[in-house]
Formats: sequence, C-alpha cells, structure tokens
Amino acid sequence: MSDNMRNNVRDNMGHMNNQLTQEMRDLARELLASGEVKGLFGWTKGSRWYLTPPVFITKPEEADRLCYDEFAVNNLTGLLLDFRDSQDKIAVFVKGCDSRGIVRLVQDNQLKRENIVVIGVPCPGMGDKGAVTDHRQAQELPLLAKCLECRYPNPVLADRTIGAVTVTTEPSAAPSGATAEAAKGRGVGSKEADRFAQVEAIEKMSPDERYAFWQAQNKKCIRCYACRNICPACNCRECIFDSDKKNWVNKAATPTDNAFFGITRAMHVAGRCVECGECERVCPMDIPIMAMNRKLIGDLNELFGPYDAGVKADEKPPLGAFKLDDPEEFM
Amino acid sequence: MKRIGVFVCHCGTNIANTVDCANVAEVAKDFPGVVYSCDYKYMCSEPGQVMIQEAIREHNLDGYVVAACSPRMHEPTFRKCAERAGMNPYMVEQVNIREQCSWVHADKTKGTGKSIDITRMGVAKVAQNEPLFSTTIPVTKRALVIGAGIAGIQAAIDIADAGYPVTLLDREHSMGGKMAQVDKTFPTLDCSACILTPKMVEAAQHPNIEIVTYAEVEAVDGFVGNFDVTIRKKARYVDVNKCTGCGLCSEKCPKKVASEFEMNLGTRKAIYVPFPQAVPNKPVIDAKNCRFLLDGKCGVCKKVCPTGAVDYEQKDEVIVERFGSIVVATGFEQFDISKYEEYGAGRIPDVITGLHLERLMNASGPTMGKIKRPSDGKVPEKIVFIKCVGSRDEAKGRPYCSRACCMYVAKHATLIKEKIPTSKSYIFYMDVRTAGKNYEEFYARTQNEYDAQYIRGRVSKIFQVGDKLIVRGEDSLLGRPVEIEADLVVLAAGMDPQQDAKDLARTLGISYDQHGWFTEAHPKLRPVETHTAGIFLAGACQGPKDIPDSVAQASAAAVKAAGLLSKKELTAEAQTAGCNEAYCSGCGLCVAICPYKAIELKRISERVHGGTRERQVSSVNQGLCQGCGACSVACPSSAMNLKGFSNDQILAEVDALCQR
Amino acid sequence: MSAVDEKKVNAAGQPDPNWEPNIVGFACNWCTYAGADLAGLSRMQYPPNVKLIRVPCSGRANPQFVLRAFQKGADGVLVAGCHPGDCHYATGNYFTRRRFLLFQRLLEFSGIDPRRFQARWISGAEAPKFRDVVTQMAEEVKALGPNRKLREEL
Repeated sequence: MSDNMRNNVRDNMGHMNNQLTQEMRDLARELLASGEVKGLFGWTKGSRWYLTPPVFITKPEEADRLCYDEFAVNNLTGLLLDFRDSQDKIAVFVKGCDSRGIVRLVQDNQLKRENIVVIGVPCPGMGDKGAVTDHRQAQELPLLAKCLECRYPNPVLADRTIGAVTVTTEPSAAPSGATAEAAKGRGVGSKEADRFAQVEAIEKMSPDERYAFWQAQNKKCIRCYACRNICPACNCRECIFDSDKKNWVNKAATPTDNAFFGITRAMHVAGRCVECGECERVCPMDIPIMAMNRKLIGDLNELFGPYDAGVKADEKPPLGAFKLDDPEEFM
Repeated sequence: MKRIGVFVCHCGTNIANTVDCANVAEVAKDFPGVVYSCDYKYMCSEPGQVMIQEAIREHNLDGYVVAACSPRMHEPTFRKCAERAGMNPYMVEQVNIREQCSWVHADKTKGTGKSIDITRMGVAKVAQNEPLFSTTIPVTKRALVIGAGIAGIQAAIDIADAGYPVTLLDREHSMGGKMAQVDKTFPTLDCSACILTPKMVEAAQHPNIEIVTYAEVEAVDGFVGNFDVTIRKKARYVDVNKCTGCGLCSEKCPKKVASEFEMNLGTRKAIYVPFPQAVPNKPVIDAKNCRFLLDGKCGVCKKVCPTGAVDYEQKDEVIVERFGSIVVATGFEQFDISKYEEYGAGRIPDVITGLHLERLMNASGPTMGKIKRPSDGKVPEKIVFIKCVGSRDEAKGRPYCSRACCMYVAKHATLIKEKIPTSKSYIFYMDVRTAGKNYEEFYARTQNEYDAQYIRGRVSKIFQVGDKLIVRGEDSLLGRPVEIEADLVVLAAGMDPQQDAKDLARTLGISYDQHGWFTEAHPKLRPVETHTAGIFLAGACQGPKDIPDSVAQASAAAVKAAGLLSKKELTAEAQTAGCNEAYCSGCGLCVAICPYKAIELKRISERVHGGTRERQVSSVNQGLCQGCGACSVACPSSAMNLKGFSNDQILAEVDALCQR
Repeated sequence: MSAVDEKKVNAAGQPDPNWEPNIVGFACNWCTYAGADLAGLSRMQYPPNVKLIRVPCSGRANPQFVLRAFQKGADGVLVAGCHPGDCHYATGNYFTRRRFLLFQRLLEFSGIDPRRFQARWISGAEAPKFRDVVTQMAEEVKALGPNRKLREEL
C-alpha cells in the first residue's frame, strides 16, 4: 500500500467515524429527549486513542459523549443484564457480532425484547490494540482475529439502524452500510474459513500434548471471571462458581479447579455461545478461550446439524433439544 | 453432624459367603458421622427391623445405611422401617452388597473391599440427606375422552358406568370414527352400523356422558387429577338446541360437494350430517362450501328450517374445563396410497382402497350396496387385492404391520363373492397374519368356500389397457411372473397415525414414536398408560389395531382412568425437583427439557433497595414432577435440584468412592 | 507420599502390577442398575473396579460429576442408562446422548483419553452386556494406568 493510499484510507475512515458518531449522538439525543428510553449503552472515547470503552448515558445532553470508531470493540449486550428485571426501556448499540447477544438474552428470558431498543451499527472491523506500539499506525493496526473470522458483520436484528447498515440473519453476508468498503478493505471476514484452525491445530496434538497445553492455560488462569462477566451467554443470576453453598469447586485458583471452571464454563455456553469472542479478548492472561468454545460449536454442528446461536430467536439451543435419530456413538 | 447408623446384612449366606460382613460393619464405624454399626443375618426380617428401630432410638440416629440387597428390592421395606421408628423414610439409603458385590465377586477380599467402598458412599450420601415429604393432590372426579370412535365410545361408557362424569369429544360432528365407515366386521360379518349405532346411542343417552362433537382440544394445562383442558367448539352455524334433525335443510341445500365419509365416491350437501345414523343427528354447515357464508347469496337452509336453528352468525366457542383423567382415543388415518405411483394409485380411478370398497358395499353407501367400479359403474368380475400397501414397507417409511388388513381383505373377498357370485378375487400377499379368535378359520373359509385365490408375491406394476387393469407381479412360491387382467384393484392400505397426532401429543405432553403412534408407558406391563400420569391410551392411536383389540384396550384404559378418579386424593412423588428462587434467573432451560411439562416460569416480586421488583423464576409442579432430574442438569446455576438425588448428595457419593 | 499413592506406585517408582483402577459408574435406576442386579441374580462374575452410583435417569448425570470424579482421583467414569426410546422418563436419555457425546469430545480435546470416560446403553435385561462393559472398561483403564489428569494435587 502506498503512503498516498494509506492516507486516503485513513482520511476516509476518520470521516466515516465522525459521521457515524454524529448519527449516533443524534439518535441517542432523540431517544433520550423523547423519553422513549430511560438510558442508553454506547461507546465513548477513552483515555488513549486506541480505547473506546462502553458508556451508559441517561440524559440527552450526554449524547455528545458517544463515540464510534474501530476501537469500539466491547460487546455491550451483556451490560443489559443490569436491567434484566427492570421495566425501563433501554437502548443499546450493536455491531453484527454483538447483536447475537440480544437474541441470546431474549431467548434466555433475561430481557424482554420490547424493553430494548436495538440500534444496529455498521462495523469497519475492530483494530487489535494489542499490536499498538506508537500512535502513527492507528489505521494500519491489524484487525482482531475475531473480525478476520467474522461471519455476521451485519446485525441480525435491530429496531433502528445508523450508517445505512442492513439487518440480516444470513451468515457470511457481505459487510453493509457506511463502513462496508472499509470493512472489505481491512479484511473483515476474510479468514472465515480459518475459524476452526486453532481447534484443528490442538486436535492434531497428542493427548498428552493437549493436556499439557490446557494445563499451561489452567496454570495461568487467575479466576478473575472476566470471561464470564462479559459473556451474554453467561447470564446466570448467581454463577455456581460464586456460591460457596453449591459446593462444586474450590475458590482457590489451582490448575485442577481452574480446569473444572474452564470445562464447565465451556459446557454451560455450549450451543449458546454467540461467538462474539469477548471472553478471549478480555482475558488478562491470554487464555485461548474461544478454542474451547469453537471446539464445541464445531462438534455440535457436526453431530446435530448446523446451528448458529443467537441468530434466530425461535431456534432453540441444541442441548435443550434432541432428535430421535441423533448420532449414536454410545452402544 | 448427623448421627448415622450402618446395618450390614448377611442375607443368610448370600452375602456373608463372599463378603466379610463383620469387617464391613467394623470399618464403617470410622466413617464420618457413623455412631453405630452392626451386622446381622437378615436385616429385612422382623427381628432385623426391630433391631434397626431399637438402634434408632438408642443411638438417636438421624439416618442410616443398610448394606444389603438391591434397593430396587427392599428400599420400601427399610424406608417403612425407619418411619415406624419415627424417622423420616428418606433419611435411609440402601447400598447393594449382594447383587453388585457378593454374587458377582467370588474373591472375598475384593468383594469385602468393594462393599466397604459402597457403604462409605452410602454413609456420605445419608450425611447429605434431608427429610422429604410427599404432598397430596386433590382429584377432579371427571374424565375426558378425546375421540369418539369405537375405542372412545367404549372407554366413555365404561368410565360412566363406574359412576364418573365423562366428556366424550370428537372433532367430527358425529361420533363413530372409522368404524362408522365400515360395512361389515370380521370375523362374524355383523353389520358395522348395527353394532356401532346402539353403542353411540347408549353413550349419547348415558346420564354420566356429555357428548361434545365438532370440537378440538387446544391446550392442556395442569396435571394428574387436575387437567385444565381448553376446548374449541367449532362454529356449526346450527343451534343444536333448536335443531330437531329433520333433514329439510340438507335436502334443500343447492350446493353439492364430494362426501368425505363416502371416500369421495358420493356427494353431500354444504349443510349435512355425514351419515344417516349419525349421533348427534344434527347437521353442520361446511363454511368452505356454503354459498351464503362465502358470498352472502343463498340462505335457503335458513329459510326452510322449521325451528329457526340455522345461525350464520355463530362463532367458535372456547371453553376451559377441568378433568381428573384423560383417555386419548384419536384413532388412525388410512395410509395415503398415492405414494405408490407404480400402482397408479390416486391416478387410476379403479385402483381403490379398502375403505372405498367398504362404502361401495354398504347398503346406505353411494351405490346402495351394489359393487360398481368408480370409473364406469360396471360390475367388476375379476378383482385383485394387494396387501401390505403402506405396511411392512421400509421404502415407504412404514416398516410396521397394520394388523387389520389381512382380515379385512379376507372379509372383502368373502363379501364380494356373496354379492357377485360369478366374480373371482386374487389376493397378492407377503404373509397372511390371522392371529385372533376365529380369524384363521375365517381365512380358511375365504379360500375354501369363497374361491379366493391367494398369490404370494408383490405386485410391481398396474396399468390400464382399454377398460382393464393389467396387474403385473410375481408369484414367489412358483417363482414366475403373473399377470392378471382385472376390473378392479383394491389396495389394502395400512394404518397411519393421524396427521396431527404429534401436535396433540405435544399439547398433552405425551410421547410418540418415530411414526407418530402414541407411546405407552411400558410395552408389556403398562400398555394403556402414558408417561404422563393421568393420561391413558385407547385404540389405534397407540398403534394399528382392529375393532376387538381397540375395544379391549378402551375398557382397560377406562379402568385405569376410573381407578384414578376413585381415589380421594393422590400421593405425589416425594423425590421431586425443587427450585431455589434466590439462584434462579428464569432462563427456562429446565422448562424446555422437562418431559412432564412440570416446570413453569412464574413471576415473583421481591424487595430490592426499598422498592419492589418483579422477576421470573422456575416453579416445579410437585404433582407433575416424576423426579427424573433432567432439569437439575440443564440448570447452569444449580438453582434447580432434585430432592433425594441432589447435587450435594451425588457429589458426596463421588467423593466417597474416590477416597481410597 | 500418601498411603493412597503407595498402592499405585512401588518403592522404585515403577507402576505397581497389582494396581487396580477405581471407576465411578452412574447407573440409571430403571435400566442399567436393574441390568447390574440381573447380572448378580445370574451370578455372573466381573472385576470389582466399577462402583455404581444410582441415579434416577442417565439424564441426571451432570458432566460436572464426571469432572469431580477425575478431580478426586477416579481413573475412569462410566455413565450408563436405558437405550434411546426406552427411557423411563420418556426423553431423558436423548438429552444424555447429546450432552455426553459433546462432553466426551471436549474431554478428549482437553487431553483425556476417551476410554477413561465412557457412556453405554444397558437395559434391565442386558446383564451380560453389563458384565462385559464393566469388565472391558476395567481392563482398558488398567492398561492406561492411574489417571493423573485433572486430578487435584494432594
């Protein structure tokens, strides 16, 4: 890429972000001012140029705090759980991947669909802030792996949209809306086929190597539960790992208890994981959590037929259903 | 810490021969919580039980483990034993050191070691046991029978005779079901109407039976003893209270359509009763064909009705009623023969089914009982029957035998010969199955006295040449091809479940097999019960059946249903699931997995930060729950737990087994 | 080294030829437990390694129970219930089948030999099958040796 082209891309992206941010603020202002919603989850500019963390606003004048750019990576849907038993109507911005979290929460009865105003946002692909070394490479940052592997660049549902994004439940649809060109240029979805590459690599190891691989991860885990807290599928009112009354596992972060946690967490989201990849992104210890989730997704697809969680509200998770002629490996 | 007793049984020499019982009792003394341990020759004997009861009192036991035979054998004994000593019966665990130790491990050291392990497991479980109490459920003394064919009628009459009110429901506007379409019945050749009509009348006039026709079950809530059934009474456009059944309306109605009852071989009017002996003998207007209801032109029936019973404004009525038990008798459908393209089925008019022939033979049928073929009204001379059409045919997805066809084909061949003495019947068959009282004799007569020719083999093709039907097949006994020039071909179509049987099963919460037949609770020992307590099966909805079997099963189901209604109250299972509302997030994963529809989401309100907040939680209906525990595994937060097999109890068992 | 471990490894640190695997079995009350009882009534002989925990339905077996067993030192875990279609509770074992098919693969993915976790359908009539399954599993797990994976450190 020549410097000239790079500058063009950068300018275009900047322009687009400004425009989307403006649309976002206008819509937020309208929703809050009209009283249609009590509050709104969005993103705001953080203390560093590569940080665009979540924000919750309740007043129209706060709309100007909103910001959208290629660091608005957080899936905001899990935050809606703060309002799970509330009658208040709340608005939330969702990118394609995030939007499946709404379906998850509605399917799990944690949210009433009518209490949420879902606003679809086009996604240019999110930059990997882990690759940041100095600020001049802002636009050249590689995309997050999860964005390269993205299969749902467009929201699967939305009540309102900005940036002319298209709502679709079709997997592998082309990115749409204002950021469509940027997303394509940056490679959103270009490595979709590699989604299971890490799973396959682990499967190629010998059993002892696999165990050693996971044992190394389990030694790292500090049981901070960040993976759980961000996850729209981990929406239990009280997690079994929080309660000392449930007696399942020690609270101490020993490798064996961490393994129990890791495998149990994976089983609890099996068939329900919406593949937003947030668990792995937020893990401070860089544990490849999505490898576990993807393993289950791949096996569920293979065993019981293709299923993408959090896409269609009327399609029930595969572990809550069965067919009489499911594969029969236990004889 | 609970005070636990351990009682090790010798079972005479059954256990003691290969397990050192005294040693097991001795080692058990050191298990956490054990305050008393002993062994004895026969724990289940009266002295054994007295010994246990004395120990309970003397050592102030909170619970005990009996290491003996299988709990499947004596668990009730030792539970009752505890109860007599004032201990909650669910504070007892029995571990199996006979069937699963002494009898299968000849090595005394190994057998003793395993006995010690599983006794430790039992002690660890008891330490987690909690007293459980059965609840009682009131019983609504009233039954619902769904389907008013012969099975439903019989079940209703039997329950009503036992003294309980019955609602007999059918979605058609007359009772009678498939039997009403049949001309004569094997093996006695009674006229079907002659034996069915009195039954219909008996049911209709029975003081304990309420007939609700032209109605469907929409929803079923509640549980055994207390089912709340939502029934949709479809608009008939005729006020049954005013209608006298004079028939003037049908006579004058200008709109003629093919009659379903006559298998489309005859016609009916848009306002009609399906057949002359219908009960109730009151017409309905078929809204899809009524000129007035379609475009407001006509209105003849309303004009001619002497009692003003015709009411074009009538709407569906939805009612909810409570029943203590339900008998499902929804019967079958005839297999759709058009799946057999090679037989020209559905295409060639003279290739018909058994039910078509029943109508052609029936004196009140479209041909007044004269057998004429549908295409040109000619009387057939050569008739070919093909059996197992839609039965025993894997390729058509019908691997099962329909059970009635062998006999009804024999009946048809006999009756045709009586009606057309010059005729000749050829019957292609795979096997002839005549397992019923006087069935084989009937079959023999068909061959010997009625000249029916049975050809073992399958027909490969039927096609028309002129006004003949060429039936090409193979005689597999002679090993050569056969070709018959027939005038009429009758396919012995098998039985299919009702197309919407699965929907009804879901509504009722009962299970069905891969074809859609409702599944009995046990194929041998509980043949008329379903897995859902209080719901019973009668007739062909459970699987293909002929009339005698349907009636027999109906009476059996009636006994079960009436037996349930005769109880003052029902005792519910004590080992049921329970929801800890503090943990429950109301996600509903348990609701989806429960085979008994025992779990509902309910709204509770609780105080949060000085305000009241409503939220959803799971709630287990103790009357419906059968204690399978599926919900407690589906629940990710362990809010749902199964009493008697709780997470804590099982974890304690696991830990105890692994601790060696 | 605790007394527990001495049983499994001799003084020279070599595997003890007399070591016997400890296998936890979850058996549904209506089929497999009854099948085991029938094996007893028929006086069939099999090794004592598998110890059954009676559960109402194989659908009551939680994958977390399996993890707990490995954690606490089980060398193998068996889950057994009615054949599909025969479940006393109509549908419990269909969920068992889905859940444990998936879980077995996840365990394998975590480095656990699939022979250490097995699931089988054993009816109340299949006493010979019960005998064969527990015999075979005892032999297989014995050949694999003591399980150290997922085990808590003492």
